[in-house]
Amino acid sequence: MIDSVLNIVHAVPGLLLILGAALVPLLPQGARAVYMLALIAVSAVGVWGMANGVHLTAQLAGLDLVLVRATPLTHAFAAVFHIAAALNVIYALHDKSRITATAGLAYAGAAIAALFAGDFITLFIYWELTAFTSVLLILAGQTPNSQTAAMRYLLLQVGSGVILLAGAVLLWRDAGASAGASENGLLIGALDAETPASVLILIALGIKAAFPLVSDWLQDAYPEASPTGTVMLSAFTTKLAIYMLATCFAGYDMLIYIGVIMAVLTTFYALIENDLRRALAYSLNGQLGIMVVGIGIGSQLAINGVIAHAFASTIYQGLLFMAMGAVLHRTGTAKASELGGLAKHMPLTMLFAAIGGASIASVPLFSGFATKSLTLGAAAKAGHEWVWMAVLFASVGALLHSGLRLSYHAFIAARSETAAKLPSDMGDAPGNMLVAMGIAAALCMIIGVYPQPLYALLPYEVSYKLWDAGHVLGEMQLLAFATLAFVIAVKKGFYPAPRDRLVLNTDWFLRAAAKHVVMDLAGPAVRLWFFVLGKARDALMRVLTISEQASRESGLVSGIASTGAAAGIFLAMFALMLLIRQIM
Amino acid sequence: MADSKTALIFTRLLYVLCAALFVGEFIIHRHAYFALEATPLFFVGLGLLSFVACLIGARVLHILVSRRNDYYAEDGND
Repeated sequence: MIDSVLNIVHAVPGLLLILGAALVPLLPQGARAVYMLALIAVSAVGVWGMANGVHLTAQLAGLDLVLVRATPLTHAFAAVFHIAAALNVIYALHDKSRITATAGLAYAGAAIAALFAGDFITLFIYWELTAFTSVLLILAGQTPNSQTAAMRYLLLQVGSGVILLAGAVLLWRDAGASAGASENGLLIGALDAETPASVLILIALGIKAAFPLVSDWLQDAYPEASPTGTVMLSAFTTKLAIYMLATCFAGYDMLIYIGVIMAVLTTFYALIENDLRRALAYSLNGQLGIMVVGIGIGSQLAINGVIAHAFASTIYQGLLFMAMGAVLHRTGTAKASELGGLAKHMPLTMLFAAIGGASIASVPLFSGFATKSLTLGAAAKAGHEWVWMAVLFASVGALLHSGLRLSYHAFIAARSETAAKLPSDMGDAPGNMLVAMGIAAALCMIIGVYPQPLYALLPYEVSYKLWDAGHVLGEMQLLAFATLAFVIAVKKGFYPAPRDRLVLNTDWFLRAAAKHVVMDLAGPAVRLWFFVLGKARDALMRVLTISEQASRESGLVSGIASTGAAAGIFLAMFALMLLIRQIM
Repeated sequence: MADSKTALIFTRLLYVLCAALFVGEFIIHRHAYFALEATPLFFVGLGLLSFVACLIGARVLHILVSRRNDYYAEDGND
């Protein structure tokens, strides 16, 4: 029995992290980090070099499930998910919240397990698990805003799962009804985007990939989590959706136009958003747009570009969120209008933010250049002139909102009234945050200078001439002259100052319009529903609060009070891991 | 700016870089996929125009969608 369980834990990537997360709340803070890093390392060793093909199947109520399957697209995503999970642990070392640590590890595990799901039912299970674990990260923000944003987030995330399941059921029915169809209609693979089943699956993936009109959960909820929680959130859900879109809908033309809208529209939103973490959420959405463009083009070069870009963007976007999280941690705010002049206090954080900004803007020698160039090349080779121009425009936009504007308002601009009240001896970010940012920044530069190891993880051979002198010159001209324009605009005083205003987006439909309409149409029933929802939310928050209180120094499962017991648990887990390694 | 000396050095380096890139246009051959891309100083113009488009687009969007911070809270919508 134990052997069977261990075999399954070993065979299903990510499951070790999901199950291992159960012990995280019991461990004292230091041991907790070592334990989580050890689990992530064991998990990474388990998936490294995994051969393509089906590894584990099961039967459930007559359905043939493919629990574990690797494809040529899986490896790069699996690698970067493990890197992100490890960076998150280091970045959150100072964070005493056991909820954040537990949910973060289980969330990473669910996302990794979902990558290896070979059928839509298995995917659905992990898909929903990512939703439930990630919503805990938002709730752990423990502010009134984080609670309401978490409910809206959960509504869309669970909704996405339900739509995915409906699509899977239709696929299964269609496969059964059509003579000559493959034995198992639930297998994840290329789909014909014209069938009702595929449309449902596309909508489900589109919600998680933050397509236009269904993207607001991202900008609404991510900035409401704690500084560490937001970094964790930025890595997995959206990239999982990109992986699934690339697997199921490569070459579907419509995605090119959806991606262009995402990349361009979010540029403007990111430029007017005062909360710099929310601006980064828009920025993340824009990067997803460029990946969606690549999926729509669908050529080998484009798919290579999508996967390489997803890999690089997970790291540089995480780095930017880490930098702004460090600013929030030190100053208590991430609003551009309340910052300024932090360069003297947080020079390393500024340096890391600048490296993240250079990477997202595709400056040569930084990671974005080595990866986004593949998508640009694919658009050019496919003759999509306006798409190519739009991606270039989005690069300039990324330079402005995630590079120049962010660094300028946080670190370089004159101190705002709020920033002037900060203590004069305020130091840089805590050491663990700096280490995590340093590793992420180093990866951004290594990928930028020497992308070959990343290219080796891609599904197709990369023959693109990255260092063509004309290509480098063009990219440098584009970015340098946009920077020059920014500097002149700032010096001449016509670059707009940040204003502390709320920016309406399509979440308005959920937060205002729909609520009024629904309340008017079905008042009592809806009021009852909101009452139940509110009670459920309050109950969940009470559980979280009790759990937090219990894990404080004098609490029921206090790290200090039970250090011996925790050390015993840790040793037992370590022995379990060694056992798993032996079985391997 | 908080540190005008550093800002001055950065600005001067940027001027030198832009001048070098301007001259580079006439020394290094750029392979063009599209006719428009073959236009001299295409990327210089695209960088500047994109900046202007970002400013104007952001300004228009700001007028359309920015509201007071208590917009959702004022009638209990949130």
